[in-house]
Amino acid sequence: MATSDETDDRIGQAYRRRVRTTVRTAARKFRRAARPLWDRFRFARQDLTAATPTLPRVAYIFIAPFFLLFSVFLAFPVFYTLYLSFFEYQGVGQGSLFWVDLGPVYLEIPKIARLDFVGLGNYARLLGNDLFWQSMFNTSYILVIQVPLMIGLALALALALNASFLRLKGVFRTAIALPVSANLVAYSTVFLLLFNEQLGFLNYVLAGVGLGPVPWLTDGFWARNTIIAAVTWRWTGYNMIILLAGLQTIPQQLYEAAEIDGANRWEKFRYVTLPQLKPVFLFVVVLSTIGTFKLFAEPYVITGGGPTNSTITIVQYIYRQAFVNFNLGYASALTVVFVAVVSAFSVAQIKIGGED
Amino acid sequence: MSGINISELDKVYDSGTENVVAVEDLSVEIHHGEFLVLVGPSGCGKSTTLRCLAGLEDVTDGSIRFGDDDVTDRRASERDVAMVFQNYALYPHMTVRGNIGFGLKLSTKLTGDEIERKVESVAEMLGISELLDEKPKALSGGQQQRVALGRAIVREPSVFLMDEPLSNLDAKLRSDMRTELQELQADLDVTTVYVTHDQTEAMAMGDRIAVMDGGVLQQVGAPEDVYRSPVNQFVADFIGSPSINLFAADVDGATLRGPGGFTYELADPEPVAGHDRVSVGVRPEDITVVDAGQNTADVTVVEPMGNENFLYMEMAGHELTARVAPAVRPTEGTHVPFDFDEAALYLFDGETGDALKTKTDTVDSAVVGTTED
Repeated sequence: MATSDETDDRIGQAYRRRVRTTVRTAARKFRRAARPLWDRFRFARQDLTAATPTLPRVAYIFIAPFFLLFSVFLAFPVFYTLYLSFFEYQGVGQGSLFWVDLGPVYLEIPKIARLDFVGLGNYARLLGNDLFWQSMFNTSYILVIQVPLMIGLALALALALNASFLRLKGVFRTAIALPVSANLVAYSTVFLLLFNEQLGFLNYVLAGVGLGPVPWLTDGFWARNTIIAAVTWRWTGYNMIILLAGLQTIPQQLYEAAEIDGANRWEKFRYVTLPQLKPVFLFVVVLSTIGTFKLFAEPYVITGGGPTNSTITIVQYIYRQAFVNFNLGYASALTVVFVAVVSAFSVAQIKIGGED
Repeated sequence: MSGINISELDKVYDSGTENVVAVEDLSVEIHHGEFLVLVGPSGCGKSTTLRCLAGLEDVTDGSIRFGDDDVTDRRASERDVAMVFQNYALYPHMTVRGNIGFGLKLSTKLTGDEIERKVESVAEMLGISELLDEKPKALSGGQQQRVALGRAIVREPSVFLMDEPLSNLDAKLRSDMRTELQELQADLDVTTVYVTHDQTEAMAMGDRIAVMDGGVLQQVGAPEDVYRSPVNQFVADFIGSPSINLFAADVDGATLRGPGGFTYELADPEPVAGHDRVSVGVRPEDITVVDAGQNTADVTVVEPMGNENFLYMEMAGHELTARVAPAVRPTEGTHVPFDFDEAALYLFDGETGDALKTKTDTVDSAVVGTTED
């Protein structure tokens, strides 16, 4: 059998080689035939370039679209949110903020909203609000457990995948990174089903080994852990890929030098891998912190923030205030605080981990 | 402190579908305190051999002994070797001080103060004392090279291994470092194996040189001996700059007949007895331009070097190079007769390339001897 397999293999190889050669030859012939045409095009383009007058500061025209879109869709909303946080929203605006009558053309920018100025009232309100502090606690709890857990796991997997002895690396890499492509709502629904208290697969398995049903979704403590499990499942592979890419840029000779200097496995990790991986590691930590702090879809679908608000996150709270209760001014103040906290986190992380 | 004994070393890489033999049946004895240079073209197995000595590669077969210790199966860290890498492999996040002291910190019981003192004395020896608190990326190539050397020296190993340590330096620095490295090695009296693809470096530095090709050791010997008496055509061709002139010739009794009507009468036809076809080799410095002679070549380029001239000539499609005195300056494009001494002639078997006759010790190769007046 072995010999016939080998023969098959050889025939397969020969066939593939012939196909490859044919394709390459055809491509080469095509390129050669197309060359005069391509030359004519190239000459025409060169002539056109020579004939076109050069505009001064033409570069600004090229970068203008970005700044235009950026100011309309990013800069303006950012500043408007800050502005809005000092007001109470009363309803949709009436009348115009600004208008020009140019004869045939009449340009008008309507007022966006009816607003009552409340100064720092929204900020005072959030500091005294229990649900704000509850959401802050929930988010921090999830953050403090989930981010180290996920990055530790991602690093361990990346190290394993980077090891020379492992076979089928590509398969593992793809499999581990796959969850990141899962639709947020779809995978959250799957977790909802897996962790269902009566019908869920997880409790079924636990019952099989003689453990009582765990209230995954109905107890505050367990519900938070369910969220942590879901988020970790989805994002570990993503972080692993980034860390793996970082590991692969570490020159092999550093490990060899360390080997000769007498380093054991742990010392090589401690003195070569970690310092070399630091910039990538920092990137992953900052990105994961921001990502988890912004957590919204998973608790929204899996627990709906419950039971009794024990999994409500900050963004979910902002969402409720803004789009359920239409407290746009208050929601803006929450957003400002949220952004400030996230920024403080990131700056601190970069300050601590970023020095060379 | 020890010599090295490599015995029947084989290194085969298994790439899944096929085996690649990198080193084959290599045996060599390196004496205590000797500076041995492994030299050969890229892919000849010289670096692999060095890495086997370092313990960075497993040995497929054979044994390696340092002194009386069989180290074949020992890890790199247990072999008491220090290695200098081509691209230095300094730890980028450590200062020069950290880099040099790292090995001592990991593998000795020296106190922090003792390590500090050793690092400082080595830094002083290499003239990099003022760089101790810099990070590698702030240093020039030459300075990084010194740090890499310092890292090797401070360990006081029984063997130094160097893998093309000078090839990333510019030409001027390279020749300075060459001398410095030799002096250093002589002072420290540590057995050193040095890998290079540059035959000039090999000739200049080695107590002995070992020429490798295709994973097989071709010849080991003092530079002078290898140059004068290569065991085969490959060694003759590889050692020497500019390279030896080689062309095929038919043997007709005592007469050699080569391309373009080249003929040469051997006074002693004994080496070619029984051979129909041989390779003729003449070192560039042994070719002399004469007033009249049987063999001629077309001068294509004359390169005046100041102290000597390089003549590039063509003989029926075969390029010949000659090193002649500065006064000898034939016009480019002219036809010149040339000659050489039989004592300077190399002859190799036409098929195997084994040496049949090499240059005798009596030949004085000095370029001055080539002027005909």
